Amino acid sequence: MIKVLRALLRGRNGSAAPIVPEKNVAGRTLLLMITIMSFLSAVTLGGVVLVQKSAIAWSADVGRELTIQLRPVEGEVMDSNLRTAVALAEATPGVASARALTIEESQDLLEPWLGAGLDLTAIEVPRLVVVQLADPVNADIAKLERDLSAVKGASLDTHAAWRQQLNTMAGTIVLSGLMVLALIGVATVLAIIFATRGAMASNREIVDVLHYIGASNKFVAGEFQGRFLSIGLQGGFLGALAALIFFMLVGTAAGNVLSSEASAQVGMLFGRFALGIDGLIGIIAVVPVIAALTAITSRMAVRRYLSQTS
Amino acid sequence: MLWLGFDSHDGDPLLPRRGSVFWGPPRVIEFSDVGLRYGNGPEILRDLSFFIEPGSFHFLTGPSGSGKTSLLRLLLLSLKPSRGRITMFGEDVTHLNQDRLLQMRRHIGIVFQEFRLLDHLTTFENVALPLRVLGQAEAEYRPNVTELLEWVGLGERMNALPSVLSGGEKQRAAIARAVIARPKVLLADEPTGNVDPDLSSRLVHLFAELNRTLGMTIILATHELPLLDKFSYPRMLLSNGELVIHD
Repeated sequence: MIKVLRALLRGRNGSAAPIVPEKNVAGRTLLLMITIMSFLSAVTLGGVVLVQKSAIAWSADVGRELTIQLRPVEGEVMDSNLRTAVALAEATPGVASARALTIEESQDLLEPWLGAGLDLTAIEVPRLVVVQLADPVNADIAKLERDLSAVKGASLDTHAAWRQQLNTMAGTIVLSGLMVLALIGVATVLAIIFATRGAMASNREIVDVLHYIGASNKFVAGEFQGRFLSIGLQGGFLGALAALIFFMLVGTAAGNVLSSEASAQVGMLFGRFALGIDGLIGIIAVVPVIAALTAITSRMAVRRYLSQTS
Repeated sequence: MLWLGFDSHDGDPLLPRRGSVFWGPPRVIEFSDVGLRYGNGPEILRDLSFFIEPGSFHFLTGPSGSGKTSLLRLLLLSLKPSRGRITMFGEDVTHLNQDRLLQMRRHIGIVFQEFRLLDHLTTFENVALPLRVLGQAEAEYRPNVTELLEWVGLGERMNALPSVLSGGEKQRAAIARAVIARPKVLLADEPTGNVDPDLSSRLVHLFAELNRTLGMTIILATHELPLLDKFSYPRMLLSNGELVIHD
């Protein structure tokens, strides 16, 4: 693909050799710099996509589930209240199922805080009913809340606060990522300006010869712009490719290096580093964006350099 | 003398046309009281007044530092005079805008002492450069470039890079590049400075042939007096920034 584009970039004279040499120190430095910037942009963009996707997935998962908590109340029979709560939940529109956690399951939930091996039979622990929603949007949660008020010690947790926190956190990360992207863009523009001026200075002889044989600044700028666009495309392509390899390696490493529990937790957080089609499109889009940024910036820098030196 | 155009350059947009009223002799270049200084420094060139007729051949000579290169740069339109007036092809070039200046410069060829060939391009590509600048496609210019390279004796060296050419070959390639677009005026700044005396003479013969066959106006700067003695062309002698002989 790069070869085809480079052939196109040779422009007005078809197969004629490029007037600006394809390989010189300034060109290689610029290529390396653009590759690094593209890689950073692609990794940041991929990270933002991962976090956003995971946040949406978490939010959706949490939103599909409600928890009814039944605290032990003196004079109340826990098992009876559990059955009532399950029945009320199942009778609520939009609820798919309701299941009371067994006492063992409840005790297991406490284990991370209280430690293993304790006999909790002597303590009355709160019991939980997990309610799965078939239709989170249209489920009549207000009705369930009203119905549960008749059950002593019962309370309904919709996880709204958790979801709110999750969305805020994900939004902050996405915003930070976009700011980092913008800063990388600014740094790229500045680096291209300096690299362009360096490349122009190191190719001063070519510029002078072209001027002496009657080439206009537009012609000279066109020759250099074609070269810089080519470098931008190559750098963008290499950076994006490196980012894709990076995400592949991190995904593989998360699966192999971490213990299965840690791997599962990381998987819960980042969805196994699967970028998905939108992540891939985002990373591939880095190539033309970086190339265009390079072409536009270098064109302006070249025109400015030529107008100053002519 | 009343002139009503001239035959040899009929159709040339930069020269007076047949039937147009033009008083005085045809002049490709005319300097009137031209002075040049760099910044606030002293005048490098002073009170230059002369004219060059079309199809003529002049040697520009003088000791080092006499201002030969500065005068050539004025002729190449890469410098503007500090005072006075320069007319080229009948047009005052002292205050030309950038676009017009470039159009005018395409009618002026230049050969440098240090050749100034682009090292990454072959001989063919170097010579073709002015035609590429003019927007010609390779298929269009290839026959002309090939023919010219054969004419200057570089037919076998078309695909060689400058790094493998001898001094004489480089200079012939530079001359070919300067004349490929058929400029009206050819300037040469010490073109024999980097070659041996025998080759110097042969190069001047090449310039003479271009002048004779193409009617190109040539100004060749050199400080090699033995070379000047071999040819009977008129001389412009610069000394301390002043033109002391113009015959």
